[in-house]
Amino acid sequence: MVQLAIKDVDRVLHDNNGQKINVLKDINLKVGSGEFISIIGPSGCGKTTLLRLISGLDTPENGQVSVDGKLITEPDVSRGYVFQHGSLFPWETIRENISSGLKAIHGHDYDHELVDQYIDLMGLKGFESAYPHQVSGGMAQRAALARSIVLKPELLLLDEPMGALDAFTRADVQDVIQKVWKQTKTTMILVTHDIDEAIYLGTQIVVMTPRPGKIKEIVDNPLDFPRNRTSDEFLNFRREIQDKLNFGVNET
Amino acid sequence: MLESVVSTKESKKTNVETKTQAKYWKPYQTRWNIASLLTIVLAYIVNQVVPSQEYVSNGTYRWFLVIYFVYLAAVYIAGSFIHGKVRLYSGHFAQLNASIGLLLVVQDLLTEKYAIVKQPFFVSFAQILDQMKTDHALLLASTWSSLGLWLISFIIGTVIGVALGLFMGRYRQFNYWAFPYLKVIGIIPAAAWMPLTMVIFPTSYLAEIFLIAFSVWFPVAFMTIGGVQSISENYFESAKTLGFTESQILRKIVIPGALPNIFIGIFTAMGLSFTMLVISEMIGAKVGLGWYINWAKGVGNYTQVYAAIVIMAILFSVIFSFLNKVQEYSLRWRQKTN
Repeated sequence: MVQLAIKDVDRVLHDNNGQKINVLKDINLKVGSGEFISIIGPSGCGKTTLLRLISGLDTPENGQVSVDGKLITEPDVSRGYVFQHGSLFPWETIRENISSGLKAIHGHDYDHELVDQYIDLMGLKGFESAYPHQVSGGMAQRAALARSIVLKPELLLLDEPMGALDAFTRADVQDVIQKVWKQTKTTMILVTHDIDEAIYLGTQIVVMTPRPGKIKEIVDNPLDFPRNRTSDEFLNFRREIQDKLNFGVNET
Repeated sequence: MLESVVSTKESKKTNVETKTQAKYWKPYQTRWNIASLLTIVLAYIVNQVVPSQEYVSNGTYRWFLVIYFVYLAAVYIAGSFIHGKVRLYSGHFAQLNASIGLLLVVQDLLTEKYAIVKQPFFVSFAQILDQMKTDHALLLASTWSSLGLWLISFIIGTVIGVALGLFMGRYRQFNYWAFPYLKVIGIIPAAAWMPLTMVIFPTSYLAEIFLIAFSVWFPVAFMTIGGVQSISENYFESAKTLGFTESQILRKIVIPGALPNIFIGIFTAMGLSFTMLVISEMIGAKVGLGWYINWAKGVGNYTQVYAAIVIMAILFSVIFSFLNKVQEYSLRWRQKTN
């Protein structure tokens, strides 16, 4: 069942000299319910812009972005968005941050138990009353994830949420995201420039190329769960994606 | 998980300890503690033994010295037994207390004892304390009156300043229409309005409130605008995807995000407001510390002027410390940079 439909989308920006830059050109994408889409591509291929268009934080010049047939014009709680870093409100504790969306919608009678559940699931127990600057980068990103997922969105958009983390913490947060995806069956769209991450998490890999930002290919991920980052199948598929990205094309 | 709970609690405890150590950094030295006690004894002896130029009632001053001595001795004795905050505190301030004792000796000799500085414009601390004692009822009433006037005016000025700043910082249309006018009006020193306010307002009390509030709103508004505009776009976008309404964005993002800057504005405005408080009381009022100074000047009693100045020093310091505590608590979420 198609949930998200992106049709003939263009996004144009103007640089300081008034020159037109095609950030995105002729983007067409259909995403089924419950999928995990990994969008991968080099810097400047417009993958974050594409994610922002889906969330409604940005609007396209041409084309349409719609969810369940409804055109997206502005951000909505049904589409969660996890930023790369530094989006937790520094003046709220971890618990207040996680419950901030619920409180905004339901007032003080929000579901406190649900918040407790996600604090547990994200391994944040004992840090509820800490402020964001007092916890590690991995914890902060898990809290940001909890803050969005606790609202039970139909679509969760992940904008390189592990981009600023070290390799160990990144693997840890990837597992948390996978666990949440399996438990909640939320459709997720991840933007990343980490090929391993894209393959480890995605059911489909969207390969993008820059100038102008275009979708080069949409590849179904053949790997079964649980996935092993060092298995032969994983590495073979990785090589396939690398080739599509022209990754290391100048290597001899 | 339990481990992590324990560890955060422990780190909190060590945090408090290092904070105390950073605050009281001077090493504990017994000789300085003894020196400070000795300077107070010296101040007492000098006051007792050296004859005064004219008759001065030194009773209050000597009581003051005795209480000061007992307080320091108690702190030192407690500090020599208990190794902790008290010891750090007494060690840190020992040198400062010694200098205060010495200063008391010097001022006594310069004024009351040998009249080296010009009389009657420079009076001894003993005379000031004695004046405060005899005049305590009037001084207390004046202090309360000044505090009340300042408080109401400062609150009005701050609320207006914060509200205007938030709206100008958040809404471009409002900023377009309001900022140019408010900038031109706000830069005018409040004191310049004084002659007009005295005739425009029905009572001088209202005029005083206006003048003090006027000195407050502009620095607060100006800093608030900057505070709102410095808030990361990330927070606004997060708020939108989390379902915040505009009023929730104002309350949950804009106000807390601008708060560090609002406090900078409040502290700038505080100094200006104290100035305007004293000036406006000197001109229009029949009560208050400013009026008291003006009245004392009129009758040529400079000891009274000093008494009011000493009270102001104490009152304004207390207000400053209080606001500092409010700031510390309100911004407890901020990362300490030191």
